[in-house]
Amino acid sequence: MRLFRRKRRRWKGRGAVEISPRRRILRTFLRNRTAVIGTVIAVCVITVAILAPVIAPYDPIRQNIRSRFSPPQRSYPFGTDFFGRDVLSRVIYGARISLLVGVSSVLLGMVVGTAMGMVAAYFRGKAETLVMRTVDVMMSFPDEVLGIMIMVALGSGLFKLILAIAFLMAPRFARLAYGPTLALRERDYVDAARAAGCGNARILVRHILPNIFGEILVMSTLWTATAIRLEANLSFLGLGVAPPTPTWGNMIRTGLDHLVDAWWVSVFPGAAILITVLAFNMLGDGLRDIADPKLRT
Amino acid sequence: MKRFLLIFVVFGLLAFGALSEGKFLRIAFDAADLKTLDPHLAAATMDRAVVDMIFNGLVRYKPGDISAPFEPDLAACWEVSADGLTWTFHLRTGVYFHPFPGYPDGYELTAEDVVYSLQKAADPGRSAYAGEYAGMTFVAVGKYTVQVKLQKPLPPSLFLPKFADYAGGFIVSKKALEVLGDEGFRTHPVGTGPFMFKEYSPLEKVVLVANPKYFRGSPKLDGVIVYYMPNLAAREAALETGSVDIIEGPPEQPWVEKMRKKPGVIVDTFGPGECAVLHLNMSKPPFNDIRVRKAVAYALDRDELRLTVGLDIAAPLCSPVPPLLPGGLTCEELGKLRYDVDREKALELLAEAGYPNGFSIEVVISERAEYLIPMQNIQAQLAEVGIDVKLKVVDHSSMHTLIRQDVNPIVLYVAWRPNADVFLTRFYHSDSIVVTGKKPDTNFSHLGGVDADGDGKIDSIDDLIEAARVELDPEKQISLWKEACRRILELVAAYPLYIKQFVYARSPKVDYGYELKSSLALYPPINELTDIKG
Repeated sequence: MRLFRRKRRRWKGRGAVEISPRRRILRTFLRNRTAVIGTVIAVCVITVAILAPVIAPYDPIRQNIRSRFSPPQRSYPFGTDFFGRDVLSRVIYGARISLLVGVSSVLLGMVVGTAMGMVAAYFRGKAETLVMRTVDVMMSFPDEVLGIMIMVALGSGLFKLILAIAFLMAPRFARLAYGPTLALRERDYVDAARAAGCGNARILVRHILPNIFGEILVMSTLWTATAIRLEANLSFLGLGVAPPTPTWGNMIRTGLDHLVDAWWVSVFPGAAILITVLAFNMLGDGLRDIADPKLRT
Repeated sequence: MKRFLLIFVVFGLLAFGALSEGKFLRIAFDAADLKTLDPHLAAATMDRAVVDMIFNGLVRYKPGDISAPFEPDLAACWEVSADGLTWTFHLRTGVYFHPFPGYPDGYELTAEDVVYSLQKAADPGRSAYAGEYAGMTFVAVGKYTVQVKLQKPLPPSLFLPKFADYAGGFIVSKKALEVLGDEGFRTHPVGTGPFMFKEYSPLEKVVLVANPKYFRGSPKLDGVIVYYMPNLAAREAALETGSVDIIEGPPEQPWVEKMRKKPGVIVDTFGPGECAVLHLNMSKPPFNDIRVRKAVAYALDRDELRLTVGLDIAAPLCSPVPPLLPGGLTCEELGKLRYDVDREKALELLAEAGYPNGFSIEVVISERAEYLIPMQNIQAQLAEVGIDVKLKVVDHSSMHTLIRQDVNPIVLYVAWRPNADVFLTRFYHSDSIVVTGKKPDTNFSHLGGVDADGDGKIDSIDDLIEAARVELDPEKQISLWKEACRRILELVAAYPLYIKQFVYARSPKVDYGYELKSSLALYPPINELTDIKG
């Protein structure tokens, strides 16, 4: 299917007039149905998170013991939990934590990891050995295991959760930035920049970073989905944000004890994780297709 | 998916264990692990249960009914001198300690062991209950006779509980402690009880085997396996599939109702229950101001809290000493000191104290449902008057350690104590103040060490507690205790919340061997009479 579409695109491209790269990217993106659906859902989730106080029908932490475990109904579309709190409102507010953790941990990991990878590749030598071997060690642990170790050491809390996930993301970005930087540092334009008197920092930031940034941005979208999943996993294990703040992970955890009698407490946040992770994955896949040089003809 | 796989693996192992090990009773507790099996240090609920099966006291509470008169245990009989200052215990003969390294057949219990054990229980460095035995001396006056000498006479209602099968009263083996050391003893306890320690797998289980030499006769069971299963769904499924015989339930109404409907499951709720009390730390702002403490009291709604915990499970508690004990007060008796919910008044008091917009506090709390659930409701209730409680959820034993280091501005403590004196001494006597007291214990409010009402004088109820302790006239003693309770509530050093019954579910095959009404070991006691039928 993909091959077929690619061929058609090529054929169309040949006959068409020259278009600007920006429009070409947009067109490629819009043709990729998966990416468009992913984007729409992701934008919806982000909108819901931003507008949570407006959209949520109830206060997500306000308890109403007398309506404990009400099944989904008109007044509570997603039902209520053990404390009689509205599950819909908690899922809506939970999006804030999931996205906050997902996006900020990836951003933090991206900044630190990319810098590490670029420095290692650009300077080679001891810096390379030190950084890349550390990255190898960190990546040899499964994410959840390392995440649990870090959270146990740091203690629970939102900021610590972001730090822990950023710590897991940094080595991925380091490795991602390392390869292309290694190739770019040998390029003539980098030599030219150096001959013109540019310092190392300027070369790295102005001449190398822009050339690898596209790829990093694409992967960061995909890894945002991973970070959201990790947040849910760690919160599920009780290592995340303290109650009563709703997060999808801790909602599933608290609902698990009553899964048979009050399935709605766990199932709705579970569905929210599924949809969000899927959306970011679809978006990331779409962006990767655009960035794929094979498709740029 | 991983979780379900894990549950299957656990059940597989449990099923395999059950097939290979004979008539073992399997009981699953809501705990991640044990903390210590030294009975003089065991304060956590799950540890008390295990030590209860391994050790005996000199006297014992009637199994399943703590309100009945004391029964002989290691002591066959006892008497008190005319001046009330010397108590003499005559030990049973032919009672053997469990085997341990160097003593493959155990050895016979003598007065020497009892004296050693009581001295250990009285040593603050080796016991959490040392305060109970202050001023007492223990003498072996024969191979099987022990005397306890007091400085002041104590009524039997206060004296005997200290020598019963509870906390410091458990008798440990002198020689085993000498061989294993205090550290070793914590994970390899040696006692005289119906079950002997066999093995401990961290985070998993403790295996006890029947003591064939038990002085009341060999147990009907071959042994007991205590599983640590902090996951309720796993415990529930384990009971339903027959992988375990008894499980600890959560103190939750929906669960009790759900389990009662299931065939092949019996739900037991039993007393004496644990008293849930909110202690307010008067040594630090903002709770050093009595207006703020009163605001907290008026902000809290006991009925809502009881509803959260479950009406079948939580009975109202308004007095620091529960009304079922002599010296306790009912909610009706307390009148204004109940501090019935009045959030307007709470807001006024907060504004008066300089907190018109409320304030924020950080509170360490256990992950266990019996703490986390009420605390989350307290958090929501206090939020109504602008008090923002930030919870830091830690494992149960960490909470016990941290609150004793005085980290919390408010402490939710759920516990039972055998009598009014122990309740008042351990929670409200100045000697028991955490960290700074003479014998630091569980006085989290610092009552007796601080000026509680802002009149420039230190407020204390030590005199009332001490006078009641030596009062031989039961009526006068009770009125002194009641006065102490009233004083605590006037100063709002603590706000009693509710008294909670224990919830366990079992297979109908399990026969405890007695009628279960109440248990101080905080679990349905397993003893030589307990059996599994079929």
